[in-house]
Amino acid sequence: MNRRTGVVAGLVVAIATTVAVVATTATATPDRAAAPSNADKALIKCGKTRTLGMSAPLTGDAAALGQQQARWANFFVQGYNRTHKTKIRLVPGDSQLPNTAQAIKVAEQFASNSQVLGVVGPAGSQEVVASTAPLRGGHLAFVSGSATRTSLTDGSRAGYFFRTVPNDDQQGARVASFIKGTLKKQRVFIIDDEETYSQGLADQVEKLLRASSGFTVTRDHVSQSVSDFSSLIVRIPSNTQIVYIPWQLAPKAQIFAQQLRAAGKGATVFGSDGLFAPGTFTFAGSYVSAFPVDLTSKSVVAYQKAHGGMGELFGLPSYVATQVVTNAVDKACKNGSATRDDVRKFVAATNIPKKQSLLGFRIRFARNGEMLNPANFAIFRIGAGGKYIRVA
Amino acid sequence: MGRTDLLTSFLPLHLLLFDIIDTVRALGWSGAIDLLRNGITLGSLYALIALGYSMVYGILKLLNFAHGDVYMVGSFIGYGVLTALGGPLSPKLALTPLILLIFLAAMLGSGTLGVVIERFAYRPLRNAPRIAPLISALGVSFFLQNSVLLLFGAQHRLWDPFDLGGNPARGVPGPLTSPVFTVKGVPVTVAQVLVVSTAVALMVALTVLVARTRIGKAMRATAYDREAAAMMGIDVDRVISSTFFIGSVLAGGAGVMFGLYIGDTYHFMGFLAGLKAFTAAVVGGIGSIPGAMLGGLVVGLAEAYATGYVGGKWSDLVVFSLLVVVLLVRPTGLLGARAIHKV
Repeated sequence: MNRRTGVVAGLVVAIATTVAVVATTATATPDRAAAPSNADKALIKCGKTRTLGMSAPLTGDAAALGQQQARWANFFVQGYNRTHKTKIRLVPGDSQLPNTAQAIKVAEQFASNSQVLGVVGPAGSQEVVASTAPLRGGHLAFVSGSATRTSLTDGSRAGYFFRTVPNDDQQGARVASFIKGTLKKQRVFIIDDEETYSQGLADQVEKLLRASSGFTVTRDHVSQSVSDFSSLIVRIPSNTQIVYIPWQLAPKAQIFAQQLRAAGKGATVFGSDGLFAPGTFTFAGSYVSAFPVDLTSKSVVAYQKAHGGMGELFGLPSYVATQVVTNAVDKACKNGSATRDDVRKFVAATNIPKKQSLLGFRIRFARNGEMLNPANFAIFRIGAGGKYIRVA
Repeated sequence: MGRTDLLTSFLPLHLLLFDIIDTVRALGWSGAIDLLRNGITLGSLYALIALGYSMVYGILKLLNFAHGDVYMVGSFIGYGVLTALGGPLSPKLALTPLILLIFLAAMLGSGTLGVVIERFAYRPLRNAPRIAPLISALGVSFFLQNSVLLLFGAQHRLWDPFDLGGNPARGVPGPLTSPVFTVKGVPVTVAQVLVVSTAVALMVALTVLVARTRIGKAMRATAYDREAAAMMGIDVDRVISSTFFIGSVLAGGAGVMFGLYIGDTYHFMGFLAGLKAFTAAVVGGIGSIPGAMLGGLVVGLAEAYATGYVGGKWSDLVVFSLLVVVLLVRPTGLLGARAIHKV
């Protein structure tokens, strides 16, 4: 092989790898037929140990998020197993977000695994769309702790898909009204991280702010894999008052805020619930919208103690999702055996009182899988020393 | 497609062009200098990583796809030393000795890793068909990535360059982000000067090593004709190991510089950086040391200007399009020499 052939061969491999990574994000189609499953309506003997599937990106670029969700889910399972005679086993499925083809594979594995009674996840909205057919084909309830795209609950997944996070419309409206009404800032620069979660929220906030008179709203994008924001920051006008970054990786937000300040730009950074991570996103003067979680609650404190004091509150709804599926399995298995349809029915009928809910309000679901009357989003200001102070 | 359809389909391109012109005007000279500074800093990092690709290719005709992950491991070692010495917010050492120690540990660790990779993943395949070590390189890349993921988890490790060496409790930032000088009002920070000057120093040292030392001569001889070099008494295995060591040392250094400049270390960081450094090596002319340096700068500047003028989501497109254009116009890269084959 001569020099040129070697280079060309290398390029082919490099480009093929890149294309594969990019293409897999787009190749999966939501209508893909589900793998036939023997466990569809079959009666499953529950036994002493009940099995749940958990679909999350455990490796790949979004592994920091998926592993966080897995830690919260496992934290719930550990607590449950300590205090109950029956035990829960979580079967992890690595969805490798944004690789939706892999998410489908995971969904198919769960559908065909006759032990799996319900699923926690998938994590991303695009994964929910892609996994719906195999999960529905397997009659499985799937409860996501992070898929926020509003259209997911348009009724087409009713009875199967549920989520323990509010949708983009709810959070976006809260953020826009806080910027307009409380902060009274009119020059806003919005940067999404090119992921579905981020784009949905950015779209919503942009739409609402543009609809108000006197606002200058600029929109930009940056890949989640970027860590050097210095050239992007050059694009932010010096008179910008708010930079809204609905991202999911808190360390990136911390770096962005530091680079913004190092570049001499005084705009306030405003993040979404994906950045609600005391201990990681600590840039003083920034704002974050998030569920009004009680940071002093026993479980949150215990989690943080068990995980080196990290905030990681983005993964908290996955704890609640695991709680929802576990409770439903417990009820369905009352007589020792259950069908997946039974589990779905009990998930739909979830009623977790406020006292037992880490989200700070009673958890019930509407028919379309959305939470009923969730609490409004709280706004936190990050104070000196990275302390989160609730301001609204 | 009708004429109107054709015009409509080109409309977004028109709008993008107008948008670029507007942005160039709005950013002015200071924006251009800002982007130049960012591009040179980023390009210096790419150049250091690209040197490893180029050196290994020059001597073995192997594209070492695990090289980006060696850079990632270097960054992890650097972060490990920083953490062991009190962490970014309360280091037990003064900043200068701390940084020197971090560099030393990361460069030695990465260098050793490079030698180990060569010994166990490539040497046994040296006489195998060319595709075998290439696949092995990809395997090593995944192995390193997933090993780090399993050992240390997926969390991003923050170096906090903004606070490193400062007094965060009193809101005093560290010296790394304070400006050393300004160009037309654009500040150039200590971290940027550190990255560029260290990269230049390492590249000069490498050039001297290859041009003036015994091992450098042996490397050039091995690259020119491995069998003839062996017949002349050169220990080819040792030379190849040394090449991997030196290339990996540079990657480890780049990993630390990335930590000190950007402040982010995680298991997946080597993938894109490695791909861009490889692009830099090819753009500059793979196998050529000055080519790798030039390629790094070209890729860094292209990325910075594309991000600044066109927008964040276009930067990778511009960088990889540049690769295609260079290969079409100059298949051997900007400074690559045309290979002569004896028949």
